[in-house]
Amino acid sequence: MAAKKKQHLRPLSQAASLCSSGRVWTWEPGLVGDVVRACPTYGRLLARAVIGGLSQTDGRDYSLVTASAAFGEGTFGKGILKKGMCYGDDACFIARHRSADVWCVADGVGGWRDYGVDPSQFSGTLMKTCERLVKEGRFVPSNPVGVLTSSYYELLQNKVPLLGSSTACIVVLDRRSHRLHTANLGDSGFLVVRGGEVVHRSDEQQHYFNTPFQLSIAPPGAEGAVLSDSPEAADSSSFDVQLGDIILTASDGLFDNMPDYMILQELKKLKNTNIESVQQTARSIAEQAHVLAYDPNYMSPFAQFACDNGLNVRGGKPDDITVLLSIVAEYTD
Amino acid sequence: MLTLMSMFYYICLRRRSRSGTRGEALTSRRAVESGQRAVLPVSVEVEQYAKEVLDFSSHYGSENSMSYTMWNLAGVPNVYPSSGDFTQTAVFRAYGKWWEQCASAPPPFRRTPKGFHSQDYIELGFEEPVYPTAVDVLETYYPGAIVQIMACSHNPFSQNPPTDVRWEVLWSGEPTKVLTPQARQFSPNIKHINFPTNLLRIEVNSSLLDYYTELDAVILRGVKERPMLARYKMPIIDINDLSDSEEELSDLGGPFRQGGEAKRTGNGYFDKLPYELIQLILSHLTLPDLCRLAQSCKLLHQHCCDPLQYTQLSLQPYWGRLTDVSLGHLQSRCTLLQRLNLSWIGNRGALTLTGFSSFMKACGQSLGSLELSCCHFLNEPCLEVISQTCPGLQELNLSSCDRLQPQAFTHISKLTRLRRLVLYRTKIEQTAILSVLTFCTELRHLNLGSCVRIDDYDVVASMLAARCYSLRSLDLWRCRNLTDRGLAELVTGCRMLEELDLGWCPTLQSSTGCFQHLARNLPRLRKLFLTANRTVCDSDVEELAASCPSLQHLDILGTRLVSPASLKKLLQACPRLLLLDLSFCSQIDMRVVQELSGLFPNVAIKKSFTQ
Repeated sequence: MAAKKKQHLRPLSQAASLCSSGRVWTWEPGLVGDVVRACPTYGRLLARAVIGGLSQTDGRDYSLVTASAAFGEGTFGKGILKKGMCYGDDACFIARHRSADVWCVADGVGGWRDYGVDPSQFSGTLMKTCERLVKEGRFVPSNPVGVLTSSYYELLQNKVPLLGSSTACIVVLDRRSHRLHTANLGDSGFLVVRGGEVVHRSDEQQHYFNTPFQLSIAPPGAEGAVLSDSPEAADSSSFDVQLGDIILTASDGLFDNMPDYMILQELKKLKNTNIESVQQTARSIAEQAHVLAYDPNYMSPFAQFACDNGLNVRGGKPDDITVLLSIVAEYTD
Repeated sequence: MLTLMSMFYYICLRRRSRSGTRGEALTSRRAVESGQRAVLPVSVEVEQYAKEVLDFSSHYGSENSMSYTMWNLAGVPNVYPSSGDFTQTAVFRAYGKWWEQCASAPPPFRRTPKGFHSQDYIELGFEEPVYPTAVDVLETYYPGAIVQIMACSHNPFSQNPPTDVRWEVLWSGEPTKVLTPQARQFSPNIKHINFPTNLLRIEVNSSLLDYYTELDAVILRGVKERPMLARYKMPIIDINDLSDSEEELSDLGGPFRQGGEAKRTGNGYFDKLPYELIQLILSHLTLPDLCRLAQSCKLLHQHCCDPLQYTQLSLQPYWGRLTDVSLGHLQSRCTLLQRLNLSWIGNRGALTLTGFSSFMKACGQSLGSLELSCCHFLNEPCLEVISQTCPGLQELNLSSCDRLQPQAFTHISKLTRLRRLVLYRTKIEQTAILSVLTFCTELRHLNLGSCVRIDDYDVVASMLAARCYSLRSLDLWRCRNLTDRGLAELVTGCRMLEELDLGWCPTLQSSTGCFQHLARNLPRLRKLFLTANRTVCDSDVEELAASCPSLQHLDILGTRLVSPASLKKLLQACPRLLLLDLSFCSQIDMRVVQELSGLFPNVAIKKSFTQ
C-alpha cells in the first residue's frame, strides 16, 4: 500500500549543547492518517511503527533522535560539562556517518586517582578517538568491537603516555538494515524499550564485585598487576529495531541507582519524538538517579547486589551518571 | 602611410602568431588587445578541502593508523587554529638536518639545480577540477616547510588512463623557519594556469625547522570557468616556460642545427682550451643547461655528450617531465654512470618497463648507487632487470615503493655487493628479507622502517647478527615484534653498529635489561632512537652515559621513568651529544629543559607540546 504521506519537515537547531543528532518531523498523514489522527499522540507513534513494520519494501533508512544528560560525581544541581562530552570520569560521544549512527559511553575507572593518574583522560581520549574513527568512516557498522579495537590501538599510537582504564558500551544503528549492533565491555550498558517493556538489555561484565572488565593502559612494569581486558572480550549482539524503539545507554551510575521499573516509568512519560522531549526525559532520569545516589536509606540495586554478596550496605552509590537516550525515527537529511 | 601601417600590423601579427602557440594566455591577450570587451561572466569561486591523499613520500605514523599519518591532510581541519603536536595532523618522517648528518645518508648529487629543495611530497585529490585562484595550507606546528605547490592536468578520479599529464608549478620558494611554532595559514600567491586541476602536489623541506612540521588541511580555491585575463594580472611569461626543457631533453638525439656548415668560423677561444678544462666548466651546469648547450655547436655537443659528464645523474628535480623518451635520449651518454637518482620519477605512466630496462641495460654496468624512492612504475620485472644489469650495485633505495609486490624483493638477494639498502614502507616479506641478508653480507646500512609485512623481527635480527658483521646503521622504526631476545643477538653480532633506530617498537621492555645490554655492547653508538618506548628508565640512561661516549643523537620521547638527574649524567658523559628529544617525558618539564640547555648549550634539547 502506497500511503501518501505529506511530510512536514522541521529540522532542529543545535540549541542543546548536550546533544548532536536530531532531525525530527511531524507528519500530516493522508490516506491512512484519517484513522490514525483520531488516536492520541503515543498511539500515532505506535501506528507508525506498525505501518513501518508492515511495509518491508519501504527501505527508508532509520535514524535516531538522541539526547544526553549527565552528572559528574559530587556535583549538585547542574551537571558540569567538562571538556565537551566528559562528565567526571565518564565520557561519551554521539556521531553520525553516512551509513550509521554511533554512540558510546565510557566510564573511567576511578581507582587510578590514587596513583596520581586522572581517570577522565583515558575515557575522554578513548571517546574522542572513537568519534574520529566513526566520522572518518574507518569502521564497519556490523562490527562495533572493531571500533573499540581500532580506537584502543590508536591510543597506543599517541605520543602522550596515556595511563588509565575505562569500560565502554558502544551502540551502532545501521540505517539501511534497521539493525542495532552493540558491543559492551564492562558494567556500562544499554536497554532497548519497546511498548513500555524492556526487549533487550546488556549484561554487566565483572571480574569481581565492583571490578568491571576494562580497557586499560598500564604503567610499565605494572602490566601484571593491572586488569587489562582486550577489546575482543566485549559482549556483542545484533538485533532488529523498529520505529519508536527507545534505546537508553548509560554508565553504571544510572543502573546502580535506579532499578528498571523506575527507568521505565520515566520513559512512559516520553510522548513525543521531538528533541526537547527526549532531552527532558533524559535529564529527568539522570536527575532522579543523581538524587537517589545520595539517599543514604534507599535500597539501590547496587546495595541490593552488595547484600547478596554478603556486604551489609544501604543507600545509593554516588558515581558519575551519563545517560544517552535515543528514539528510532526515520532518516531525513 | 598605409603600407607602413599594414607592414607594421603584419609584423605584429607574425610575432604574435609565432609565440601564439605558446599558450592560450596570449590568445586572450590578443582578444583583449583587439578591443573585444565582452561582458565577463561572474565566476563562482569554489572552495574545497582535499578529498583523498593519493601519494606521499613518508610519514611519522604507522600504516593503518590515523595518528600522525599523511591521510589526515584530507578533509576538514581537526586542529587548526590550535597549535601543538596532535595526533590528528599529517607529519613527515624527518625534520632538520639530523638525518643528513648520519653516516647512513647518501652524499648529495652534483648538478642539483639551485631552485630544487624538496625532500618530501604529498599529492592530494580534490572533488572538482577548478582553475585555482588560491591554495591555503593550514600548518599547525613548526610551519615554514612548504617549498613548492604544483597542479596536475590529469584527473586522478577519472577512469581513463593518464594521457598527456602536465604538472605546472603554482608556487615555489625557499625553505623557511618561522620564529614561533604556532599555527598559521599559508597562502602564497599562486600562478594562474590554463587548465583546470583537481590534483595538487605539495613539496616540503623541513631542514631549517626545530621540530617536525605538522599540516592539518589544504584548501583549494578556484573557479569552474576559465578566468578572463582582464580580471587578473597578466601572467608573467616565464622565460623558462618558453624554452621548454623537456624538449631539450628529448631533442638530444635529433639533428642539431647545422649552422655554419659552409663557412667554418671555428669556436673562438673554445678551440684553444684543453679538453679537460671545458669538461670542468661544463661540470657546473645543470642538466637542462647541459642539454641546451649540446645544441649550440659540434664541439660542445661532443663535450656535453661525453659520458664523463654523466658519472652522477640526478633526474629527481625533473620528475614531472621525465618519460621513456627522455631516458632513451640520455642513454648513450650514461655508459659510465656510477650514481643514478630516479626518485619520484615515472608515475602515472611516464616510465614503463621497456624504457627503464633499456636504460638500465645501457648504463647498469658500472652503476654503484641507485635511488628509486617513490617510483611507482616499478614492478617485479623491473627489479629483475636491475639485478641482472647492475651486478656491482652497492646502494639501492626503494623507500616508499609501496605498490611493489612482495615477490619483487627476492631479486635483491642477487645483488651481493649491496652496502646500503633502504626498504622503508615497502611490502617486503619475511622470506625475502632473510634471503637478502643471507647473500648480501656486506651490508652496512639497512632501513626496514615500517615494513609491516615482516612477521618476526627477532629472526631478522638473528640473521643480521649471523651474516652482516659490518652493519653500521639499522633502522627498525615501528617494527612491531622485536623483543629483547632479538635485540640481544643483534648487538652481540653486529659490533660495529653506530646508528640504531628502535622508535615505536612496543615489545621491547627495559626490565629485561635489553637497553643496558645494548649500551654495553655498542661502544661506537652514535645514534639511538627509543621513541615512545615507555619503559626507558634512569638505569638505561645511566648505562648509555657510562658506555657510549660517542653518542650524538638520542630520542627518548614519551617515557615517564627518566629523571633530570640521570639526564645530567648523560650530558656530562657524552660531550658530542647534539640532539636530545625529551618530548612527553613526564618528569622533565620546561624548567628542566631550560636549565639543561643553559648548562649544555651545544645540545639541541627538544620538548614538544600539545597545547
